[in-house]
Amino acid sequence: MSGAPTYQEMLLRLERFWADYGCVIQQPYHTEVGAGTFNPATFLRCLGPEPWKAAYVEPSIRPSDGRYGENPYRFQQFWQYQVVLKPAPEDVLDVYFESLRSLGIDTTAHDVRLVEDDWEGPTLGAWGLGWEVWIDGLECTQFTYFQQLGGLELDLVTAEITYGTERLAMFLQGKQSAFDLVWTEGVTWGDVFRENEREWSVYNFEEADVPLLVRRFEAHERECERLLARDEPLPLPAYDAVLKCSHAFNLLDARGAISVTERAAYIARVRHLARRVALAYLAGRQVPEEEHADAPL
Amino acid sequence: MPTLLFEIGCEELPAAACEAATLQLPELVARHVPGGGEPHVFVGPRRLAFLVDDVPEREDDRVERRRGPSEAIAFGEDGTPTKAAEGFARSSGVSVEALERADGFVWAEQRVEGRTAAELLPEALARVVTGLAFPKTMRWDASGLRFARPLRWLCAKLDAETIAVALGSVPSGGTSQGHRFTAGEVEIAQASEYADRLREAGVEPDQRLRREEIVRALDDLGEWHDPTGVLGEVVHLVERPLVLTGAYDERFLELPMRVIETVMQAHQRYFPLGPARFAFVANGGDPDVIRAGNENVLAGRLDDAAFSYARDLERGLDAMRESLPAITFHARAGSFADKAERLEKLSGLLGGGDASREAARLAKADQASSMVHEFPELQGFMGAEYARRAGLPEAVAAAIEEQYRPAGAGDELPQTAAGRVLAAADRVDNLTTAFALGERPTGSRDPYGLRRAAIGLCRLAVEGGLEIDLAALVRRDLELLTRQSAEVSDDPSDVWDFVLERLEGLLDVPVEFVRAARASGLREIGAVAHLATTLAAEADSEAFAGAYTAFDRANRLAGRADGAAAALDTRLTVEPAEDALVEALARAGPRIESAVEAGDFGTALDAAAELGQPVDRFFDEVLVMADDAAIRANRLRLLLDVRDAVGLLGDLSQIPR
Repeated sequence: MSGAPTYQEMLLRLERFWADYGCVIQQPYHTEVGAGTFNPATFLRCLGPEPWKAAYVEPSIRPSDGRYGENPYRFQQFWQYQVVLKPAPEDVLDVYFESLRSLGIDTTAHDVRLVEDDWEGPTLGAWGLGWEVWIDGLECTQFTYFQQLGGLELDLVTAEITYGTERLAMFLQGKQSAFDLVWTEGVTWGDVFRENEREWSVYNFEEADVPLLVRRFEAHERECERLLARDEPLPLPAYDAVLKCSHAFNLLDARGAISVTERAAYIARVRHLARRVALAYLAGRQVPEEEHADAPL
Repeated sequence: MPTLLFEIGCEELPAAACEAATLQLPELVARHVPGGGEPHVFVGPRRLAFLVDDVPEREDDRVERRRGPSEAIAFGEDGTPTKAAEGFARSSGVSVEALERADGFVWAEQRVEGRTAAELLPEALARVVTGLAFPKTMRWDASGLRFARPLRWLCAKLDAETIAVALGSVPSGGTSQGHRFTAGEVEIAQASEYADRLREAGVEPDQRLRREEIVRALDDLGEWHDPTGVLGEVVHLVERPLVLTGAYDERFLELPMRVIETVMQAHQRYFPLGPARFAFVANGGDPDVIRAGNENVLAGRLDDAAFSYARDLERGLDAMRESLPAITFHARAGSFADKAERLEKLSGLLGGGDASREAARLAKADQASSMVHEFPELQGFMGAEYARRAGLPEAVAAAIEEQYRPAGAGDELPQTAAGRVLAAADRVDNLTTAFALGERPTGSRDPYGLRRAAIGLCRLAVEGGLEIDLAALVRRDLELLTRQSAEVSDDPSDVWDFVLERLEGLLDVPVEFVRAARASGLREIGAVAHLATTLAAEADSEAFAGAYTAFDRANRLAGRADGAAAALDTRLTVEPAEDALVEALARAGPRIESAVEAGDFGTALDAAAELGQPVDRFFDEVLVMADDAAIRANRLRLLLDVRDAVGLLGDLSQIPR
């Protein structure tokens, strides 16, 4: 595509588009997550009755997807652009298509399609219905109407739009490898991340200390429970402990240290914590701050 | 009479939801929209719609019979109407004189005026929407409505009149939407113009015409394939089909063609078009732009597959097999390594030779491959591919490839003997494992496809001629499961009945013959099937009539009576007819037994037939229920022995005569 935006220009245009739409533009979260959904700006903010609109880039860490920087489509760290709109506006799809046009995609010349794809996040007790969005056959966005988070029916249905930024940029720039993407003039995605992919793949598959990870999982699990057991629970720090459990689990999985049976048990433990955090978060939000003192016990 | 249009506008529906709506709409229309003929149903990703001609402008008036107070209350002793009668008459809109008296009450016939179509349609149409049932539904706003995807508009027209349908917060009016990217709102002035207006706006609403258009365009391209059957889905992925072709680099032809086709179809819903070309269906757009994009995507997908394939080849089948202990077959029944061990043992029991045992050992190795991880539908195929690359005998590779056959009703059986053995072992193990873990299929739930597995087993026996001693195999498999510490909770011996029930639908003979044969005591599937077909073929023969008589008469009397002796005592037989039957049984019994054992059911039937006449004579001349208890008990025993001897050919009483 002639005059295609660079990778960073594409991200900037998405930021601009969703800022103009009225989203809170956040920054990536500081703890490893497998997807933008895990960021508290999505998982926690989409619980409860308060409207919320946010957008942010999220580095998505999936240790078992690493390919030592040798596969042009698979990475242990890639970048999602995540948008949550709560409640989902009626014209949400039109707004999304408008965002594609803001990247220079002519939706009358290209074949843009919504293909059924139901999303489920077992560690978060979350699911929703939606689509993968194809542009000329390329899957470049995941679109989901959340139905449940933390195993809880949602008060307001959130629309979650997750752009796969590398895929989208490959489409815009006509590249067949993410490593060849022009990040900015003279710098490619590969220049920035190839070595990162190689080293982290070695770490994830070969070096990560299994007994340490097991201890870490258990320690964060205890920490989460302790924070929730307080008279005045602390759901936000407790949620970070859930994320750390989830990441330790992902690393153990990549190390091949978890049998399929144990796998289900680990996932259930994380889901259980996520649910309890969700309940604590909701309980904390139901009484606005100023009324808190007067609230009956 | 006017034509009704109703369109339910949605965000893009899954193909399965479109298919569900196609099936349900005619019935929902018939139930909720009065009068009217067969609807013309339009189904696509963004709209479910129907047209009904000749909708009556008004319902017929009808007469309702209302019950009033009892006669005693309604009329005084002198027969004059009371206040109660007057009140009832007034509220029913009739005069007191018009009240009827019956069954101790007074009655009024009330004429109810039929509603106009415009009056009744809003509610009726809302019911059509809420009456649709989908495999999965969702909420999308605060209205609490559930549907397969969000509802965005309703368009209802009775000829030129717009009908407003109240449903959640979905806007309702006389406009539709055209193609998502090339057209906007479309005014539908007349119901009957619906399809034409949409076609002008870049949408073909009729799924049958979209399908025809796609097939015609594909035919024009030459020989096209749809090996995994995606056409039905593609019809519901587009509103304006644009069939295009693309090409891919010939270097990918080094991949097995089945891998290329799976990549194309599973991910992209493309249609293979012979070497290095494919066809695809877009929803409009600039052909050159779209072609280039799709070619690029496919190249990427094939590159990815080539990468996985190369990795698998480098690793080799043996290394994959060694990692099977880490891959769970069933959470409560161990790993694929455990399963492979069971398959090896069962293959031996099924009479398999070296090739099938070697194939069993490697059968599940490809579960550890990158390719099967990516494309589960390639299991078996990839294993065989890697076995061939590793230089294993073709018989082993073929058996690995064929182990999942027959996959469905129309699918072929494995071509090789080792393949049939492995296929049978795999199904026996799937059935036994599920039953032993208490996961029998129920009427609506069969997540492991056990019915299909059972039918497959029957076909392997009947059509494939494989000897499947099912009861023994299930016992052996249970022992192995137990030894491997599977969490066995149930006795799986009812696998036998579950599998044999499938034989009833499979054999081309009346079910009674299969039921009769199932009761024979034979424990090998093919033998039961052979017996059932022999009985059916012989049903009109004299031999069958003789055997049937012997079995049925003996069974009718002795089968229900108590007090038979434990064993026949020939010293207690006194009548000549009794002795004759004893002799006939002594001659025929062993011959029936040996012929049944040899699977020669025709000969067995001939031998059993020899008992027909002696049994008839016995009943003519002998009083079974003799006063002497010992004699009576002995006669009952004789009849039971006859029944059991002929019963080796099954429970003939199941067969109606």
